[in-house]
Amino acid sequence: MKMEDMPLSGPDNTKLEALVNDIYSELVEDACLGLCFEVHRAVKQGYFFLDETDQESMKEFEIVDQPGVDIFGQVYNQWKNKECECPNCKRLIAASRFAPHLEKCLGMGRNSSRIANRRLASNNNTSKSESDQEDNDDLNDNDWSYGAEKRAKKRKSDKSQNSPRRSKTLKHKNGELGSSMSADPYKYNYNAGINYEMLGPDEVRSFLTTQCGVISEHTKKMCTRSQRCPQHTDEQRMAVRVFLLGPSAPVLPEADSVAGPESFDIPDGQALMSRLQWEDSPEISPSDSASSKASTNHSDSRRPKKKKRPPLGLNSGGGIGSLSGGGGSGGSQTNISLSTKKKKPKLTAPSISSIYDDLN
Amino acid sequence: MSKDYQLKASINQKLIEMGERERLKELLRAKLVESGWKDQLKAHCKDVVREKGLEHVTVEDLVTEVTPKGRGTARRQQGVGKGQKSSCTHAPKQCEANKPPDHIAKYYILKT
Repeated sequence: MKMEDMPLSGPDNTKLEALVNDIYSELVEDACLGLCFEVHRAVKQGYFFLDETDQESMKEFEIVDQPGVDIFGQVYNQWKNKECECPNCKRLIAASRFAPHLEKCLGMGRNSSRIANRRLASNNNTSKSESDQEDNDDLNDNDWSYGAEKRAKKRKSDKSQNSPRRSKTLKHKNGELGSSMSADPYKYNYNAGINYEMLGPDEVRSFLTTQCGVISEHTKKMCTRSQRCPQHTDEQRMAVRVFLLGPSAPVLPEADSVAGPESFDIPDGQALMSRLQWEDSPEISPSDSASSKASTNHSDSRRPKKKKRPPLGLNSGGGIGSLSGGGGSGGSQTNISLSTKKKKPKLTAPSISSIYDDLN
Repeated sequence: MSKDYQLKASINQKLIEMGERERLKELLRAKLVESGWKDQLKAHCKDVVREKGLEHVTVEDLVTEVTPKGRGTARRQQGVGKGQKSSCTHAPKQCEANKPPDHIAKYYILKT
């Protein structure tokens, strides 16, 4: 709507103008009054003159409006053309580049360590000891560092090969045998394998219960990875066990877990029996079962099943049963058959069943 | 004259009803601040307050001192705008600022 396009008669126009002006001045007066109220309140509350200081300071910090100078009166390009002499390398460096140059020159600051380490890493030098502390700092920062990441990966792979953690699994499970085993594999672990000729039959047996053990053709070494290592198949593992321990049915521990939770008792019982034949040293006792329960290794899961035989008698007698009902009864049957084979379970099982017979 | 008075009253009423008056007021305030009118007037207030003494200044004092000056300077600024506004063709909102209720008032009057 254009103002010029408004068709209005003369006198009306002036009247209108007058009216309009009146309205306008009313609005202006409103604005003024608003300002007055604001000022008055500020005066009475005491914050009206807060933005003013004494005359001297006011003069000092007055806004400067000269050319070539910013509003504070400072010159912009003052240090641009100046050069400084580096105290380290005695070179003349431009002022704006001085600080980064010092950082690199003196070897302090974050970037300098990263660059240096990257250079060293690319030259295939190990400078781990120096870089460790700074690395932690760098990794803690949010900046991503290529060198740090590479080093982290490298260190991780180092750890998995040579550290004592590798033999932790052996130490943990074998109880009495663990000490002898932990020393030897740690010694032989340098090339990620154990030579089966070096180990005695007992050691071989205990080793095979926990490790893969497949013998590599070219190095004659046994694989020290877990029972589920992806490089070797179960047939290979079986073959190794047959080869090393004779054909007296050394059973792979996987058979238990593969069978499934419901039916595990029956094949487990046979497996246990056969295992008991050639594994005479480990003892069934509650302390062992407790310790093996504590470990998180997969191959450990067998042990509690075997060692729980007497307690399973408890459960089945009491009617609780951690397993299914059929499993529980199956367990009790195998338990009794087991007890005929071995002395210790035999001792415990009848006593326990007698105690809980009373309950039933 | 009462007729004018009535007219004025009706215009005012229409403006208020439509909420236009509020909008105009806000617009005017914004424009005055932008142009520095408010700061000028505030500086004048400071002088008045210093003159009268911090403790005893009253609203009436301020109003009587400040309003005429304010009105005058606003007009002057509006006059500056008016000259430019003759060529204003777009958004009525912008036209308003320098001649605020003009064409709207005309619009309303024509409507009635």
